[in-house]
Amino acid sequence: MKDLITRLAQEIAPSGSERALMLQWMQELKAVADETLVDTLGNGIATKRGEGPHIMLAAHADEPGVMVIDIDADGFLRVIAMGSLEPAELVSRQVEFTNGVRGVIGLEDGVKLADASLNHLYVDIGANSREDAEKRIQIGLGGVVVQPLYELAGNRLAGRALDNRVGCAIAIAAFRELAAACRHVTLALTAQNAVGGRGARTAAYQINPDLALIIDAAPASDVPSGKATALSLGKGPAIKIMDGTAIVPLAVKDHLIAAAGTLGMDVQYEVWPGGKSDAGAVQLSVDGINIGGVSYPARYVGATQTVVDLADVENALKLVLEAAKTYEVR
Amino acid sequence: MLLKRLSEAMGPSGFEDEIRNVIREEVTPLVQDIRTDVLGNLLVKHGVDKPGPRVMLDAHMDEVGLMIVQVCENGRENGLLKFRALGGIDPRVLVSKPVFIGEARIPGVIGAKPIHLQAASERRKPLAMDQLYIDIGARDAKEARSLVKPGDVAIFATQFGEIGEGAIKGKSFDDRLGCALLIEALRESYDLPLFGAFTVQEEIGLRGAQAAAYGINPDIAIALEGTVCFDVVGAPSHGQSTVMGAGPALTVQDGQTIADRRFLDFMIHVAEKHDIPYQLRRVKGGSNDFGAIHKVRAGVIGGGISVPVRYIHAPAQVASLDDFNNSLLLVKAVLREIEQGGFSL
Repeated sequence: MKDLITRLAQEIAPSGSERALMLQWMQELKAVADETLVDTLGNGIATKRGEGPHIMLAAHADEPGVMVIDIDADGFLRVIAMGSLEPAELVSRQVEFTNGVRGVIGLEDGVKLADASLNHLYVDIGANSREDAEKRIQIGLGGVVVQPLYELAGNRLAGRALDNRVGCAIAIAAFRELAAACRHVTLALTAQNAVGGRGARTAAYQINPDLALIIDAAPASDVPSGKATALSLGKGPAIKIMDGTAIVPLAVKDHLIAAAGTLGMDVQYEVWPGGKSDAGAVQLSVDGINIGGVSYPARYVGATQTVVDLADVENALKLVLEAAKTYEVR
Repeated sequence: MLLKRLSEAMGPSGFEDEIRNVIREEVTPLVQDIRTDVLGNLLVKHGVDKPGPRVMLDAHMDEVGLMIVQVCENGRENGLLKFRALGGIDPRVLVSKPVFIGEARIPGVIGAKPIHLQAASERRKPLAMDQLYIDIGARDAKEARSLVKPGDVAIFATQFGEIGEGAIKGKSFDDRLGCALLIEALRESYDLPLFGAFTVQEEIGLRGAQAAAYGINPDIAIALEGTVCFDVVGAPSHGQSTVMGAGPALTVQDGQTIADRRFLDFMIHVAEKHDIPYQLRRVKGGSNDFGAIHKVRAGVIGGGISVPVRYIHAPAQVASLDDFNNSLLLVKAVLREIEQGGFSL
């Protein structure tokens, strides 16, 4: 898993710029899938037809980022956000655009960081005029704040885009195994989650599964002055009870708990009223879709880098597989 | 003049009857089929038996407006009307503006305390919506109620006019300019199945377009709009959104859409090929019907073409006829290029 996560987390795919990554992965999954597709919104969808109920494994592949909206006469860029990125997360950091161009994010002189909005930030790509910048940059180009991936002590990973390339890795691994077991399964690596579950909605419409399992990060707060009630790293995957987009049907939640019981696995429970997963977009697609969620705890969710525990990730994969294999349509 | 008729017609979100009637009258002779759906969208078909991708052109009929919520009964307020906004309206643009209420166009004025009577602290603070009221000159609540009831809607009483060199002023350019573009585009025939949607309730959440797009099930959709422009009084380039007179504006990202780069590049290519000026809309705030359309069913490719509008959502707005005409050229050129297979799905 670590190698797969590392590979996925190094890709740059801010919301709206997922297509290249999806084409690459769908090509790779052609060998195990009956059909692969990168759809209109940029979702990567791979289907394997087989036994049992049709299970959709959904993990968003995008990450928050910035988009160039202006180039001034001196060659400095102005950006807007895709997803919620606060100025404090951006100032003095390096941004890498999807075409490989790098720049440094600066804050206008005389503006206090606490008062700053994205309007006060600029990107310095080393250009000395608009014409010079336009050779390398176009308005609409997406980019991300770069942050190398590191392995921390205790089987933990830290870095950019772990939310949700970890989820993609779990979903891809689960898809491969379920496909090999001749189950009816569809993998959806979804686009544009950071801007509101846009890809998940159109993906679910096309797939219309019997059950969709949403695989995403949930915030771990076992940190200094973190909320006492929430999730911890290393204490197992979290079964979604509810987030800001959906309440999981009780039968699906109970099925996931039963699957964890079969595995003798410690799990936690995700109650995240502010969470913006794909669950709601999938649930409300077509005439209503049965959903469940398996989340891996991650520290600093919403920031430009997160920390995850690989044991949680391995167990999340096992839980997804067990739940998928034992699900029955009632 | 079409723009004058469209601009002055009444149609706050959810109350689009009058503007729909105006548009129906204009387009009926131009199209094969015309109907109004459950939500009130006016849907037309043009060349539906032709081969090629199903193209949807969208323009919303509704405008920002006000809804009367209370006829005041007591004391000095007796007979004054409390209201709420339909759509995004800055309360600072409302004070002292004339309005028309309902089909009967009952005239009223949005009142507030005169400057003579304001304390220094009051002058520094803009009035909130709930401190404002509409005065229709009624002597008391009974007289007011004989003319107006809660739930009635009001629009700005702004007359359309041509001003300066090739500029226009009026209300509701967002999105009556888009409606005009769509009507003008329907005057020609194209070798593809073209669907026109004049939609309702855009200003309160892109509601009509979602149902319209589901029904039409297009391959390609383009929202035609009037959009934010603030190219005045020292706004930096990245704070302008668009520049009046610089041509139709193409969306890169707004509150509801990240542009599909393939279709954006296609529209840019068409503009350059046909020597039509264009600009990119450089702000995240705001949105248009394409935000709802692109998420319908399995997803729809397309984009937005907008005429820059200064003082958008305010009682008096300003736009450039050159921008309007160039937007129309671009819409038609895009349709012609699609017709000739210039954009592959």
